[in-house]
Amino acid sequence: MNPSTLTRHRWPLVAGAGALVIYALFFASSYDQRILTLSGIYVIMVLGYQFIFGHAGALSLAQGAFFGVGAYVTGILASKFGTGFVLTFPLSVAGASMLALIVAVPVLRLASHYFALATLALSQLLLLIAVNWEAVTGGANGLPGVPPISIGDWQATRGLPLLLFVWGLAVVAMLIARWQLRPARVAAFTVMRDTPLAVPAFGIDPGLLRLRAFLLSAAFGGAAGALFVHTNRVVSPETLGFGVMITCLTMTVVGGRFGILGAVIGALLLTHLPEWFRGLDEYYLVAVGVLLLAMVVFAPDGLASFFKFSGSTHTPISTPAQPGSTEYAPPVASGRPVLEASNMSRRYGGVQALDGVDLALGAGEIVGLIGPNGAGKTTLANIITGIARADTGNIRSAGLDLARATPTAIARHGVARTFQTPQLPDGLTVREAVETAAANAGDTANVRGAATAAEAIATCDLSDIADTRCGTLPHGLRRRVEIARALAGGPHLLVLDEPAAGLAPEEQAEIAQILRTLAGSGLAILVIDHNLEFLQPLATRLACLDAGRLIADGPRDDVLANDAVQAAYFGLVMPTSTSGVSA
Amino acid sequence: MSALPRVFIVATALLATLTAAAAEPLRIPVLVPITGFLALEGTSQRNGAELALRGSGVDFDVNDTATSPEIAVNAFERALTSGRARDDVIAVVAPMLGTQMLALIPLADEFNVPMVTVSGTARITELGSANVFRFFPGDVVVKAAHARYAVEELGVKRPAVIFQTTAYGQSGRAELDRNLTALGRPAVFAEGLDVSVKDMLPVLSKVRESGADALLLHLHSGPTALVVRQARAMGLDIPIIAGSAMHQPETAALLAPSELAGVCAESGASPISESDPATRAFADAYRTAFDREPDAFALGQYDGVQMLLAAVRAGAKSAADIRAYLASRRYRGLAMTYASDGKGNMAHSAVILCYSGDSRVPVIVKRYENLTGIL
Repeated sequence: MNPSTLTRHRWPLVAGAGALVIYALFFASSYDQRILTLSGIYVIMVLGYQFIFGHAGALSLAQGAFFGVGAYVTGILASKFGTGFVLTFPLSVAGASMLALIVAVPVLRLASHYFALATLALSQLLLLIAVNWEAVTGGANGLPGVPPISIGDWQATRGLPLLLFVWGLAVVAMLIARWQLRPARVAAFTVMRDTPLAVPAFGIDPGLLRLRAFLLSAAFGGAAGALFVHTNRVVSPETLGFGVMITCLTMTVVGGRFGILGAVIGALLLTHLPEWFRGLDEYYLVAVGVLLLAMVVFAPDGLASFFKFSGSTHTPISTPAQPGSTEYAPPVASGRPVLEASNMSRRYGGVQALDGVDLALGAGEIVGLIGPNGAGKTTLANIITGIARADTGNIRSAGLDLARATPTAIARHGVARTFQTPQLPDGLTVREAVETAAANAGDTANVRGAATAAEAIATCDLSDIADTRCGTLPHGLRRRVEIARALAGGPHLLVLDEPAAGLAPEEQAEIAQILRTLAGSGLAILVIDHNLEFLQPLATRLACLDAGRLIADGPRDDVLANDAVQAAYFGLVMPTSTSGVSA
Repeated sequence: MSALPRVFIVATALLATLTAAAAEPLRIPVLVPITGFLALEGTSQRNGAELALRGSGVDFDVNDTATSPEIAVNAFERALTSGRARDDVIAVVAPMLGTQMLALIPLADEFNVPMVTVSGTARITELGSANVFRFFPGDVVVKAAHARYAVEELGVKRPAVIFQTTAYGQSGRAELDRNLTALGRPAVFAEGLDVSVKDMLPVLSKVRESGADALLLHLHSGPTALVVRQARAMGLDIPIIAGSAMHQPETAALLAPSELAGVCAESGASPISESDPATRAFADAYRTAFDREPDAFALGQYDGVQMLLAAVRAGAKSAADIRAYLASRRYRGLAMTYASDGKGNMAHSAVILCYSGDSRVPVIVKRYENLTGIL
């Protein structure tokens, strides 16, 4: 987007913001200033909620609880002990954050609606405490007598001083949000939302990312609650009520789940809207409800999406990197296998998915893993990459015990994979997806950040579409992008789950050529596929699984000639029974 | 232009402005909860105020405060600082919800505007504000009548108490406890209910197990009706002496007359039960204006606003004049005689009313006059 387009798109925003500032400073009544002050407080709360609800994609119903905790910490300390804002404000932020940290352990493990219910339960529990612990909280009456904000001799009195102070803090909150949401982290959040299955494959620790979002949402919620109490001069159970949560959720949905603009629009609109319609008496709720419904229908991504700029903000690669310049040398002694698996077994209920499987891969080797449906191929891939755990057996790669490591640690160690169905974040461009994997590669020795990502894109011949969103790519290109993503982590072992499935012959040939190039630079590759036309010319070795057992492992032609493989894989009658592994 | 004409023009303009300002009618904003869980009571409060203000020459505008302090403060600031000059505002009809009053008191003190309310929450007159005037007997009054009627008139020995876990409920429960203990009949069972609870069987089973010989309620309208109905349905036939919510015609309308047999309630008044001509005229006017039955909240707010208008008729022109009038004068209203106890508690009498079982119109069975000794 060129600067003139940018200016053209942004001028209504700049003009609107300027008009709002002039109105607030010179024309607003005390009442108008109060509503704007409340808007500023809600901006802070919504900015926090965007972390967990927008970026992390988790429907938390605890934002009202964090708001309430911040409110009560300030309310109790200020009204009962006369503690000043300089102390109560950070304590409110810390109190809400501590609560989030305590509940994060059990709650963040839960998925979707269970997470929503658990966070709702937290809010209800706190509300009950606030109502019934009368000696401390003042019960349902709450605690009156909260003084105005004062710092030293200066006091943020009602009206313009309080308005400016609150919006000053809102700007600070915006800067913190912007700092926390640098592009690499936004991309990691996108991966977590769009492709939860593949998050570890990107080297992203989903638990840590979710925890960060939850803590930030709590901290912002606590800060907003503290300011709210000073604005209303009383703390009462309404601050913990579900109404606050609904208000926050509505602001976020109407304004936008991502970005400062969404938070500002949502907070300003939802704070003012009921006031504009208040004159309708009992019917104002109907009017507000109809208007909100219309907004959600016509702007499902939030009103801020009307001001969104299309295309990626990344600078296109001016000089594409040359393919194949990265050496995927495993950090193991020469001659030692990159992958060593022995006696691997895994049972799912009554099904023995893997039964005493031994497998080894050396550097630069391409091993094809074949077998009929249900033979245990994907289970083995999942165990190698830590997504599933073996019941018995040992499995190591370049010094790491894969049986004990997390999927993220395994990916960061240099064991990469692709999936049967490509797992790519639709909302990211090819470059952003690959760079995200490179940025989160952690301790992998081969990674040089963006340079490695650029090389991976070039190796997979994707430079021309590097700035295209993954969600718009055809299937064949998605397969290649997945390989590029896997390479961005600088792996020494690559596990490919049916990389040729659904591809045209020429696309299969392109992938095969990429894999040969990679093996030539030292990468160990395990390819799971049914397609022998693809595998036969590619693999230097074949291994065959049947009903969880490894029935053959050896040179390609020997395995294909094996009677047991013929019987299991091609359905031919086996002349003699075979037990154990042969080649 | 010489200096004289300029001075004349400026003086004329100034005079015109002042005349225009003086011509602005006095104003009493009505800030009441007409949405949310207190909509029923809040609407009565609004209607009472509106009936008094119609045709009085004093301007008024109704603002909904819903049920949160935030919206109440918004409404207050809008009424006083948005649009017309705030000097016109001589008083505010303030919401009956205790938490909202607690949030409004600092503002009323800052703006120096008296607030007239029918809130029963004890705390609002304990904060030292000179701007709170309560025209409904507070918990100190009605809970004394509540407990005394149960113990002294009905001979209750083992009372059970069910209260609401709202500001209203907790405030009343504390006074009820204090009075029952003082009468030597402490509650054998007490439990708080959230306003959202619909199944009363668990709490009523506990009441039965406690061996209570009377059930004292301090609940909002809907929960009161639910408790009465479910108590009768499960055969819990001990006397029920409810809080003021039970006196409301809307609460009685939720129950069959037979379910109301043996049910009594405390209240500041019961306009539909009174036979004196003035109160009957009020009730008729109320029915005509709003197509519903009046209750004690409507009557209390009506009396409160009538006292404000009496102050205006007596020459009050500012909020300060009104405050001085309310704080120092005695006023004979329809429900009772009002006078401040120095803290803004204007109502000091209560009534007990009971349902016969064949009508939804209760009969006043006991009047407790001047319980605080102020009058």
